[in-house]
Amino acid sequence: MALTKTNNAAASVKIVVLGIIVILLFTLPFWAPENIVMIFLLIMLYMSLGQMWNLLAGYAGLVSLGQQIFIGLGGYSLAVITEVYHLNFLLAIFIGGVVSVIFVLIISQPIFKMKGIYFSISTWVIAEALALYFLNWAFVGYGLGFNIRTTYEMSTSFLYYLSLVLGLGSVLLVYIIMRTKRGLALMAMRDNESAAEVMGVELYKTKLTIFLISAFITGMTGAVLYLNISFIQPYAAFSIDWTVASVVIVIIGGIGTMEGSIIGAVVYVILKQFLYDFPGISMIILGVIAILIILIAPKGIMGMLHDKFGWEVLSPRRSPKKLMKMIRF
Amino acid sequence: MLNQENKELLTVENLDVHYGDLQALYNVSLQISPGSIVSIIGSNGAGKSTLLGTITGINKPTRGKITFKSQDIGSVPTHTIVAKGITMSPEGSRVFEKMSVEENLFMGAYLPNARRKRQELLKRVYGLFPVLKEKSGQLATYLSGGQRQMLAIGRALMVDPEVILCDEVSMGLAPVIVKDIYHKIREINREGMTFVLVEQDVKRSLKYSDYSYVMVKGKIVMEGPSSELPEDEVKDAFFGIHKYA
Amino acid sequence: MEVLLQLILNGILLGGLYAMIGLGMSLIFGIMGIINLAHGDLMIVSTYMSMVVAMRFSGNVFIALLITVVVMIIIGFLCQTFLINKVIDKGPEPPLLITFGLSIILQNVLLLIFGADAKNIPTRVSSENIVTTPWFSISEIYLINFVISIVVILLLSFVMKKTYFGRAIRATSGDIVASELVGVNTKRIYAYTMALAMATASIAGLLIGMTFTYSPSTGTQYLIFAFGVVVIGGMGNLVGTLLGGIILGLSQMVGSYFFGTAYQLFCGYIVLLVILTFRPQGLFAGARK
Repeated sequence: MALTKTNNAAASVKIVVLGIIVILLFTLPFWAPENIVMIFLLIMLYMSLGQMWNLLAGYAGLVSLGQQIFIGLGGYSLAVITEVYHLNFLLAIFIGGVVSVIFVLIISQPIFKMKGIYFSISTWVIAEALALYFLNWAFVGYGLGFNIRTTYEMSTSFLYYLSLVLGLGSVLLVYIIMRTKRGLALMAMRDNESAAEVMGVELYKTKLTIFLISAFITGMTGAVLYLNISFIQPYAAFSIDWTVASVVIVIIGGIGTMEGSIIGAVVYVILKQFLYDFPGISMIILGVIAILIILIAPKGIMGMLHDKFGWEVLSPRRSPKKLMKMIRF
Repeated sequence: MLNQENKELLTVENLDVHYGDLQALYNVSLQISPGSIVSIIGSNGAGKSTLLGTITGINKPTRGKITFKSQDIGSVPTHTIVAKGITMSPEGSRVFEKMSVEENLFMGAYLPNARRKRQELLKRVYGLFPVLKEKSGQLATYLSGGQRQMLAIGRALMVDPEVILCDEVSMGLAPVIVKDIYHKIREINREGMTFVLVEQDVKRSLKYSDYSYVMVKGKIVMEGPSSELPEDEVKDAFFGIHKYA
Repeated sequence: MEVLLQLILNGILLGGLYAMIGLGMSLIFGIMGIINLAHGDLMIVSTYMSMVVAMRFSGNVFIALLITVVVMIIIGFLCQTFLINKVIDKGPEPPLLITFGLSIILQNVLLLIFGADAKNIPTRVSSENIVTTPWFSISEIYLINFVISIVVILLLSFVMKKTYFGRAIRATSGDIVASELVGVNTKRIYAYTMALAMATASIAGLLIGMTFTYSPSTGTQYLIFAFGVVVIGGMGNLVGTLLGGIILGLSQMVGSYFFGTAYQLFCGYIVLLVILTFRPQGLFAGARK
């Protein structure tokens, strides 16, 4: 009985703290200076990238090295829809997500035939191929790219709120997914594919769904990222650097956890800001940290905290009774 | 417990081995005298392979000591243990599939002292197992089960060790072939090689060894000179009839 | 028609060079079962190193090669021992991610030191044609690339087949436990394999530097080439790697004929993706697993 009381108390404290953080985040532009708002803007966006990469790699076991596909597609959707067709930017962002989803549907057949490392490198190759294609495509202005002018009128606060929605939304989305039947299936699949298959988990469908979701959100994140950058060209849009950021964020924060992407994004953005004038050095440091983490604390910061102190802020786990009810596929 | 003059070649003292949280060996102790054939009898899951694996450094002991020629080999990597003079014909033979029979044997003589005597060692192996000489150019993957087992033992011989551990050499083989292999083992033993044979066949183990240990669920439940161990009592122990469990 | 013939010839010659780029990766994947995502960048590092040494010694590429190979072997040995060996038995992802991290670090270090401008290794070997016939011609550098690649591949084949060192490597890739049981120090064999891969990569790096321009980000492109060669040719199969390189070279050259030079790389990528879809074990499989 005492145990349940402590658990309830702990849970209440968690909720209150989370609530306070969310309120602070929503009111940020009113009390924080602009450069801080900018930092949080980036944290939100990179957090979303991390969540989506983690969804693929940490939960579905699909190590994607091609997240830049969706960033590029999302960014170019934004550019084309606002600059060429002069339509609303919100629509453009949404289309960015949709285009990414369609692309995944197109490549899903061949790419899911590939296992493990072949899958990973294929995603990278496809991204490079896309970059080359866009480089030679008149419609998108070849390598010269686009200026995205809708953004010129937008305030930092406005962009911040867009990012906030995406960032918090991505966390919420992952949280919800993990608590559904599909989520359980996912974790079963991650731990043992053949066993999961035997139990009736539809591997292909589940993987595809996750990939589609990840593509959708990453695509929209890409569009909002480019709303910030306001200039797009193929090599940058489809650069492996986007995946590098996602991977580094998740590794440092803790792969397979939701909080991991949050921590990782904070570390990433802050490091890059501090070393703004030396972009190369920040990447080197991030690379070194990532390697050290894999060697010393492979579960990342969150994993370490969980192991040592039992910390878990956003647990996807349900009570045993509910679990038993759910395991009736 | 402390042997000032340890005349035993290989001693295992109070060995505990865990796989994660699962304990596989409980306080196992053995002594192997030089030039003897020692058999370890037990059914599946009794811990025999784990024991051999720990002696050869493939598994790490959680507790206990393994001594070979007065040296502690408990935390030493496998290739170093082999260099000291112990090798194994592993469960399932584990021959190098994509290499020829002869290349497999060459690999047996990888270490410098064996490499120097390679031709001599090779001649000996071919003498013991003529079928290997016949098939010397063939890829190991095309050999029959019995031939693979002979290759595995032959490869172990090429290492020119002092002790050969044999993990279930009879598994899946016809009795005629098994008999042949065991006779060869006896022959090699007469030339001075120490053998530790892990087996499930009680009768055969008692027949071909000097000393036997019986293992059940990770523990030694019975031991003694093979000639003095009554076969039915061993069988009882083997099946875990409860006075021994 | 002559143009196509010339392109086919160039494709084959270039293919030799591509094969050598993929050699290191084929070794590592074939024997250790991991993909070194930093392979391309390590090769470009050796290119820059050769450039620096060559300039120091007034353009002498032989000294550059010697020093670079030695340094790269040491680097490879260290990376293997302290980075990769530590995580190699922890599943397929940690080594992949570590090499990914290494790739990031190397690219940015090069960027910091040398900047993003394209560079080239000045050499007395030129792109002049050394053979000219009415139907086709062969440029000096392309021919040298091809010959050196063939020599290296043959040498490596010999080492793998006939020496104890090569046998130990093959044994380790087949069965680690069995190898240890004959006295092979398998972790060290991995380190030697990496060293071998680095040696071939540095030779390839020098040749690349003399033939094409390069910059810190070129590593990625060659990583994909290497992977392509390995996939097309089949893992761990030396002759397959050569053929894989040639096929890649051909698809690039022939692709450029039909679609324009801008799509050269693109064609290579598409061919790779197609093969990955239908026959990921390579066209000339027969290697491990």
